[in-house]
Amino acid sequence: MTAYIVRRLLMNFVVLWVVVSVVFVTTNMLPGDFALRQVATNLELQDYSQALQEARRILGLDKPLWQRYLDFIGGLVTLDLGRSYETHRSTWAELGDRLPSTLELGGMILIFTFLISIPVGIISAIKQNTWVDFLLRGFAIFNVATPAFVIAVLLTLLVLKLDLFRIDVVGRPHFWTDPEAALKLYIIPGLAGGLTSGAGIMRLLRSQMLEVMRNDYVRTAFAKGLGENTVWLRHALKNAMLPVLTVMGFSIAGIVSGQIILENMFNIDGIGRFLYTRLILRDLPPFQGTVVIIAFVVVTVNLLVDIAYAWLDPRIRYAD
Amino acid sequence: MARVDELAAPPLRGEVPLGAYRATLRRLWSVAKRNKLGTLGFVLVILILAVAVLSPVIKRYDENHQFQRPNPEFNPNANPLDIARNPNLGSPFILDRWQAPNWEHWLGTDQYGRDIYARIVVGARMAVIIGFGASLISVLSGTITGLISGYFGGRVDFFLQRVVDGVQAFPPLVLLLLLVSVLEEPNLTLTVVALGFLGWAYSTRVMRSVVLSVSASTFVEAARAAGAGPLRIMFRHVLPNVFATMVVIFSISIGIYILAEAGLSFLGLGPADQTTWGKMVNTGRNQLDSHPWEALFSGLAITLAVLAFNLAGDALRDELDPRLRGRT
Repeated sequence: MTAYIVRRLLMNFVVLWVVVSVVFVTTNMLPGDFALRQVATNLELQDYSQALQEARRILGLDKPLWQRYLDFIGGLVTLDLGRSYETHRSTWAELGDRLPSTLELGGMILIFTFLISIPVGIISAIKQNTWVDFLLRGFAIFNVATPAFVIAVLLTLLVLKLDLFRIDVVGRPHFWTDPEAALKLYIIPGLAGGLTSGAGIMRLLRSQMLEVMRNDYVRTAFAKGLGENTVWLRHALKNAMLPVLTVMGFSIAGIVSGQIILENMFNIDGIGRFLYTRLILRDLPPFQGTVVIIAFVVVTVNLLVDIAYAWLDPRIRYAD
Repeated sequence: MARVDELAAPPLRGEVPLGAYRATLRRLWSVAKRNKLGTLGFVLVILILAVAVLSPVIKRYDENHQFQRPNPEFNPNANPLDIARNPNLGSPFILDRWQAPNWEHWLGTDQYGRDIYARIVVGARMAVIIGFGASLISVLSGTITGLISGYFGGRVDFFLQRVVDGVQAFPPLVLLLLLVSVLEEPNLTLTVVALGFLGWAYSTRVMRSVVLSVSASTFVEAARAAGAGPLRIMFRHVLPNVFATMVVIFSISIGIYILAEAGLSFLGLGPADQTTWGKMVNTGRNQLDSHPWEALFSGLAITLAVLAFNLAGDALRDELDPRLRGRT
């Protein structure tokens, strides 16, 4: 087990190096740079080309590509993610400001994912091939096929037409400063994201439950006189949850990285929106740094999921 | 019982006896009866393909034409001072925008007075081109690298798999945004290629595992013993045996690409000069309260198309390669 973990950790470093290189190369292929935008917005300049050179020199964009690549990697090794060209603040500080919003939205999404997908999956399996099952499966298939932003549009329409509450959020409310406003802000994107990320889980859990119910130990459980509910929840659900956990691991990684579309749509100043605006502004250091951090979280979560998997199910001790 | 003349003269190569068609049809019919949801998916897919192909014929209006109607407030005798005070007085026509569905505009008009039905129909063509194009690119490139990775193993395999891991460690939308930003104005080709590259990692991974299991079989060993080179083995012996998986990956990912492109367009980074459903949802949601038609119908179109391709893809997977269940 230890050897397995060590090997996986080493592999993760190679993976992160791939990510760092890909993000460095592609961001430097983008047309235009921050200096260009800076100079272009300054209308008082007399000599553009000289101002451009000066701006590039200040930002360090005049250095050759290989040197910037080495600087970037050197920074990462010392956990220095660079500074924003625009605000001159460190990437860590910028991310720290935005992490709460992303976690609030992500937490909301996660709660809805659990609250909706697990009961739906269980009920659908227990009531297999009844009209309840068909209805719930239809619901799941609809959510798989509908982008989160369309669900968000539908929910917004619902709120507006039924006049459930007024969506009049000003500023950036948090759950600990203004719970009511925060709830108004996060509930629609949270539900939309939860439905989308839960859709796959509903279908997976249903098929897993039905698969598990065919096992001998389930028949034994029934034979020794256990009640229907006990068997479904204690025996079937527990064993059906393993693959579901893997999928959950992926969604948690996705949630931490921020929801670019939902955050943009609802003006939530989180990490996803930050990434998007940095890319549009060509504010490269925070963009690159954030992507590397997210990739780090993703590979780490995947590793943890695999370890948890091997630990939960002793039959799996990966040889590969 | 075979007839005597059939035994005497087996059909020539490439010539299929009539009975075979009937047998295929009968088999298709039995599959269709068993898998009703999949059949629904295929019917919808055919419908969408028909709309996409026939879009220039059935769209009724040009999708970019801005409809106008007479301006009730128009006053030809207004003097410049009045017009400055109320610009509506000056023009004889105004945009016929935000129409609710009616006989002239089946699905209404958008904020620029364009016919929503025409734009949805044209958007179907975009969705199909993007879904099929990206899926084709990802399957073909993924098969090549999957073959190399799975067949050769060793260092090549290790490195390729780490690149795959690296691509999958990106949040998909971030990588997509990054790739399409390489051009100032992303066009259709770039969008399709970027989506295809994103799918490349996934199809490489699946193809590799299938190639691994096929490469271990005795007929590959026999071919190697007979002196066949790696290229010959890969293309003549392994490839035909992983073809079903290729078809499954191709069909099952079309819906995902349509979804991804919708998200990209929604953010304003889709193909710049094309009409897409994602763009329509984005422009439509600005007047959601008063004029929800555009956002509703284009959102519905996305759902319907993705649903159709998902159902058809799932059915194809269950028939061709049930091993892939749960991995897609």
